[in-house]
Amino acid sequence: MSSRVLGFFRISNPMIRKELRQRLRERRAWLLPSLYLLVLSGTVAFCYYMVVQEGTQRGTELQGADIGQAIFYTVVFTQLAVLLLMAPVFSAGAITIEKEQRTLSGLLTSLLTAPQIWWGKFVSALLYLFLLLFSALPLLALSFAFGGVEPLALLKATGAMVLVLASISAVGLWCSATFRRSVHSTAAGYAIVLVLTIVTAVAFGILLAHWTHSLGGNHQDAPPVYVQAPLFLNPMYPFLSLLDDTDLRKFAYPASSYLLFTAMGLLAAAFAIRRLRRSGEQV
Amino acid sequence: MMEAMIEIQGLRKNYRGIRGLNEFSLRVERGDLVGLVGPNGAGKSTLIKILATLLPADSGSACVAGEDVAKTPAAVRAAVGYLPDVPGVYQDMRIAEFLEFFADAFRLKEPARGGAVARALAQAGLEERRDDFVEHLSLGWKQRLHLAKTLLHDPRVLLLDEPATGLDPLARIALREQLRQLHAAGVTILISSHILADLEDICTRIVFIADGKNVNEVQAAASAAGPAGALLHCEIEWEGAAEAAERVLAAIPGAAIIEKKGNWRRIELPGGAAQASSLLRGLLDAGVAVLHFDARGPGLEERYRRTFGGRP
Repeated sequence: MSSRVLGFFRISNPMIRKELRQRLRERRAWLLPSLYLLVLSGTVAFCYYMVVQEGTQRGTELQGADIGQAIFYTVVFTQLAVLLLMAPVFSAGAITIEKEQRTLSGLLTSLLTAPQIWWGKFVSALLYLFLLLFSALPLLALSFAFGGVEPLALLKATGAMVLVLASISAVGLWCSATFRRSVHSTAAGYAIVLVLTIVTAVAFGILLAHWTHSLGGNHQDAPPVYVQAPLFLNPMYPFLSLLDDTDLRKFAYPASSYLLFTAMGLLAAAFAIRRLRRSGEQV
Repeated sequence: MMEAMIEIQGLRKNYRGIRGLNEFSLRVERGDLVGLVGPNGAGKSTLIKILATLLPADSGSACVAGEDVAKTPAAVRAAVGYLPDVPGVYQDMRIAEFLEFFADAFRLKEPARGGAVARALAQAGLEERRDDFVEHLSLGWKQRLHLAKTLLHDPRVLLLDEPATGLDPLARIALREQLRQLHAAGVTILISSHILADLEDICTRIVFIADGKNVNEVQAAASAAGPAGALLHCEIEWEGAAEAAERVLAAIPGAAIIEKKGNWRRIELPGGAAQASSLLRGLLDAGVAVLHFDARGPGLEERYRRTFGGRP
């Protein structure tokens, strides 16, 4: 590997240090993780209460594994929802802020390359999301105390979350490289997240209804690939296959989803770097 | 012939159908301090951005320090210091951190890195405030910090786009002094500004630009005396009656009185230095008691008015 490529990825990239320093000086650097953990803790407590309440009402003996699984999946999906809401905030404003405070020309006329600038912004946006993600690991590990969840499930969920967040952050950076103002790029970032989560689910619903109708409304099989296809770009999809539920396990193409998210992230990165190289008119 | 530090040939640039530069050409030699003057929208910032590798040209060629801005932009960036019209700073960084970041961005390694930062702090006069946040600096100090950052990597060519905008008179004087020192140290400088008095004071050459084209060029250093035969402005004041002086003035072919106050006149002489000296001789021969006689070429402001006076 050439020294140029190594230089691009090295952690000593001055952009990464600058970004992290600036980010950790903001008040939200400690406020957000505190709020985030508070929300997750509340959700776990609520989930535990609901599961125990339901078991008491049914009058059946409550298994520890049921509580463990309920806590695990609740934390995973709550984390995903909250981090999907936060990802555009950190990435979509990362380059526009340089345009707004008129500092982008200083970066572009230095010896930093456009990929180095992009990589610095990407790593710092992602590292902050990872800080939130990994700070919640003790809450996820709570489920091990009750049983019913394998460590492999935790690894899979964390891996899928990292991939989805990296891809969404790359898309946010592309918006940031394209627009001049943070408010526009953040709005565009949220619009894309909405399309990926809501529009793909609606499209899936329509295709599923059509397919069910064509079978006379009576089916036991998993929907075919073409019906599930819109969901491959839904950030929730890779997690559905993790669930220990017979109905939800029918969504069994996580690899297609991983590939699509990887491709989307790489494309967004390539377009963002290209846009960054040509952003002399915006400075 | 001296080495060209900036060489531009037939540069063209269009912005969404509007012409930014139109066949603009310029040669700036090593050690020149060239002022770029023109009305708003003339193409000054576009030209400087192309030279700083921020914008690509549509056609033509531009070389800085012997490197083509389109083909070897990294080599150009290593040789150039660029100060934009509105220089941005990271408000939430400390002054030393700001300089260290850009020292890293220009790939300076220790011990050169530490030396460059210390020198920049000294140049900007911010040694005592190295741990202050940038947001606590006034506009003038921010401009000094930005200029110091621009000089971190010892650029051979400085591209300054309206560097005095928004500065108070003292900060402007300090900036002018700093540019003089850099020029004396052999740095080639291309500076665009609307503050003509500053340019006249420090530049070795002034280039006029309008509609993206070369309009005129002035040897700034020579403009005060004015070459023989060139137009001169002459101020005369005398003591006593006006009739004799008026007679001498009327006898000078082509001389026109521009301003008149008591025994004081400002006259335009088309015949240059030779005509000025024959006017003085004529006044003395006629027995006029001359108190003040000052002949010089029209200033940059006057030349600017003549060149761009009809423009909106």
